[in-house]
Formats: sequence, C-alpha cells, structure tokens
Amino acid sequence: MNLRSSMNPPEEISVRIAATQQDVSNPEAPAADRRRFDAENLTTLLYPIVFGVLILILWQTQVLHRILGADTFTLPLPGRILTIIADNAPEILMNARATAIVALTGLLFGSMLGYLLGVIAAVFPKWGIGGLTVVSAFNAIPIIAVAPILNNLTKDFSRDADTRSMLAKILVVTLMTMVVMSINAYRGLTELKPYSEDLMKSYAARRTDVFFKLRVPNSVPFLFTALRVSVPGSVICALVSEYFAEYIVGVGRQIRENIVLAQYATAWAYILTACLMGILLYAILLAAEGSLLKGRR
Amino acid sequence: MSVFKRSSRDAMAGGPAVVLDANEPEIKVEHVSVRFDGKKGAAPVVALQDVSLDIRQGEFISLVGPSGCGKTTLLRTIADLQQPSSGRITVRGQTPREIRLQKKYGIVFQNPVLYDWRTVRRNVCMPMELKGVPKKTRTATVTEMLELVGLYHFGKKYPHELSGGMQQRVGIARALAIKPEILLMDEPFSALDEFTKEKLNEDLLKIWNKTNKTILFVTHNISEAVFLSDRVVVLSPHPGRVSAIVDITLPRPRGLAIKNTPEFGALVAKVRNSFEGV
Repeated sequence: MNLRSSMNPPEEISVRIAATQQDVSNPEAPAADRRRFDAENLTTLLYPIVFGVLILILWQTQVLHRILGADTFTLPLPGRILTIIADNAPEILMNARATAIVALTGLLFGSMLGYLLGVIAAVFPKWGIGGLTVVSAFNAIPIIAVAPILNNLTKDFSRDADTRSMLAKILVVTLMTMVVMSINAYRGLTELKPYSEDLMKSYAARRTDVFFKLRVPNSVPFLFTALRVSVPGSVICALVSEYFAEYIVGVGRQIRENIVLAQYATAWAYILTACLMGILLYAILLAAEGSLLKGRR
Repeated sequence: MSVFKRSSRDAMAGGPAVVLDANEPEIKVEHVSVRFDGKKGAAPVVALQDVSLDIRQGEFISLVGPSGCGKTTLLRTIADLQQPSSGRITVRGQTPREIRLQKKYGIVFQNPVLYDWRTVRRNVCMPMELKGVPKKTRTATVTEMLELVGLYHFGKKYPHELSGGMQQRVGIARALAIKPEILLMDEPFSALDEFTKEKLNEDLLKIWNKTNKTILFVTHNISEAVFLSDRVVVLSPHPGRVSAIVDITLPRPRGLAIKNTPEFGALVAKVRNSFEGV
C-alpha cells in the first residue's frame, strides 16, 4: 500500500489544508512556516529595540532628565556610562565573573536538587505533595531575609572570607532556584496525557521504563518553564546576596559600594553589566530550548 | 497456568504457544460485573451487570451502545486495565493479566496517545523497545507497519505535524508493531470527521484481512459497527448489560458501497431496535 493510493480525497484535502500552514508533503522544508516565524520574530525584536533606542535618545539629549527632574550627576549620560565601562573593563569583568560563578553554580545545584525533589515527590506521592508544599513555602521568604541568615550560618565554613562568602551566596541561589524546579519537575513527571499510562501498562512496561520513556521526557518542557523563571532569578539572587556577603566582590556589591560612595556613573556601569548578564543568560536559555524542544508542541 | 512455570522471563518473551480448540472461544467473558464505588454514602455505580460473551479467534466484534453503557469498561476489563468486581474473563485459557504480561494485546485508545517528543517512527518503535526486540528487527517492523497504514513517507515527522486521521493511523501501526494476538480498539475514530472515519474503516478491514487478528472494537456509531463487524454486541446502560448480539451476515470483502444496500440498512435498524431503556 503506497502513500498515494492509501490516501482518499478527503484525507488529501486535509493534508493540503495542513500544507498551507506547514508544508507536510515535503519533509525537508517547512518554508511557509519558517517565513511566518521570522516575521513574528522580527516584530518581537523590533518593538523593544525601537523603544530602547528612543529612551536612549531622550536620555542622551537630557530630555529624560527634565521629565524626571534629575541631574546628570545622579543619572549620568549613556555616553559617560559606556566610557566608564571601557575604562574599567578588567575590574568589571572580574566582578561579573564572580557574580556569574555564584549565579550559575547556584542554578546548577538548585535545579539538580529541585529535580531530585520532584522525582522523590512523584515516586512517593503520598507525602511528596505535602513535602512540595513545604518546599514552596521557601518561595515566600524574601532573598534579603535568607541572605544574611545563610551568611551567618556559613561563617565557620572556611578561614578564607572569599570562600565562605561564596558558599553563602551560592546557597541563597540554590535555595531559590530549587523551589521553582522542584514544583515544575513534579508537574512534568506526573501531568501525563490521558491514556499514556494505560498505554504503558497495556505493554506491561516496567516502572523504570515508564519513568525513563514516559515521565522524564514528558518533564523536559516543564524543566524549561522552571529555567525561564530561575535563570533571571539566579542572577537577581546572586546580586542581592552579594549585598550582604562578607567579602566585597561581585556586580551587585559594586552597585551598592559605588552608590554609597556617590559614584553614580560607576554604579550605573555595574547596573548595565548586571542587565547584560541577565539578558545574555536568558538568550542562551531560549536558544537551548529552541533546539532541544524542536518538533514538540 | 502450569505452562508458565518454566520461568517468568519466558512468559515475557512471548510465552508458549497455546493450542486452541477450534470450538473454544478465544475470549470468554463469564458473568462479569464491574462496580465503581461512589463517594461516601453514595450508591456504587454499576458499570457492567452480569455480562457474558464469547469471542472467537480472528473475529471482528464490535461493542455498541450509548454513553454510560459500559462498553469501554468491558474493553478495559478484558485488557486488564480494570478489574471485574465479580465474574471471570479467560483469554486463550489464561487470565487477562497473563495475556497482558505476555504483551499479546495491542490497544488503540480514543486519542492517538503519541509521545510528542518522538518521531512517528520512534513512536511505532516504542512497544518493541519495551519488549526488548533487537534493533534490526525493530527498524524492519517499523517500516513494515508504516507501509501497512500508508504512512511510510511520514516516518521522520513529529506527531503534531500530522492530521488527526494520520495520528490515529500511527497509533494503529504502533499497536500492531508487537504483533499482538488481539487488537482492542476503544472508539479509535470517534474524534475524526466522517470522511476520514469511513476511509480508515475501509483501511482497518484491509489490515484485519492481512493480519488476521481478533479485533474488539468499541464504538457508539451503529453504521460503523455494522460495516466492520462479524457480530455487533449491543450494550444498554444503567446498568450496563448485553441487550442483544446481532450477527452481521454481509458478504466480505466489504467496500463503502455496501452501505447503500437494503441489507445494510436492515441490519442497522435491527441493531438500533435492540437498545433497551435508552
């Protein structure tokens, strides 16, 4: 039975209708679909960029200052901020590196721990759901409350102030990212399509097979849902936890130090650095999601 | 039961051949009742009441009835996805559980239940992975099955790139991939439009003809049941029970044109008139 002969007219019509949206008949090139996707992409990029450029023009021409009633000392001009970044590049990079290490290490440990908690809750649902409720209560604690506490708890960890500060900061990020991941992992492992468990049962699949061939792959989009929250969150947690850390390093800490010293231009340089770090990590995440979830809907 | 004492591994790998007496039914449903306990205080819901049914090997049999008549419950009980409250089901002289563990059932559900992270080929492949079929055999069988359902050229597509009818055909290919003895189909085409449904009905008869499986087909569509089946089992609701079994004496092979014959119309009317208390 070949393809042509097996398809009746109505089915062919339905295929053709589908082909107008996406070229089903040619497996290689869903050209129409890609074109539409590009146009969509273009506008989603274009609008914020136009808006950003507009703000920059208003800012550099000091119209923004007049609107806000600010002066160029507290709100330095974009050109000056960029000059400072260029002049202090090595120092800024060193601080950005420290923040990135905290954010990414915390994100890694937090996400792994969170997934593990999700797995445990999915395997032992009786107390797993209750456990997750307790875990999500951590979500309600503000970072500015957690950071000093963890700072205090880790003060005997090492003789080196940098090391013990690092640990405290990473722990803050770990705690916060763990919560998001655990709840989403649990949902991904348990919210299965109707009949998919019955299907596995009808093939007498082992529990491990159900887990690795159904639950784990099912959880992948949920994993990215968690990361979309926790990637920017990890940067924010890292910045805030640096405020309270013992050892003075990191982009967040530099923002604070420079504001205290009334060096607003330098503070703004670090604020811009923090923004760029968040955007860069989020862009990496979206690219990874795009390539890993290709073919899914 | 005693034939399984060799080892459970043996049973998993396909089990010993059970020689059936030609007169012995392949599936024997004896006085089966299924009750679902309601919430505290509420009376239990009787989904099936004292259902008895014999299904012969290679037979195409349909369960028809309105919603709530227990047709899906009966299929699920035979499939060992639901336990009977009383009564007994024997499949090839064994319990449904034993048959399920030997992976002799192929089930097609109301929706295709394709895994959206797997391509069409890998979806069809999935049951064979669970069964531990060697990779070379798997690849060959996937090709064979996709050719059977007319989707060979769509193997590398993902499920969402296919139409509903094509997705359901992938589901059928997957169910057939482990060469089951019995194909259980639970309203497989109910979500499809009339044209696609009729086409897939014809295709299903061709596949049945080629593979010679026993097919138990659940539907609420009388015309579909009459077109496909050797016998139509009419179930009536509240409580679910067999109210009639209608022999479909239409000649085979059947094409869609048969639906225009007076004999077909008479059989549809006979099935329709068999319902009680609807």
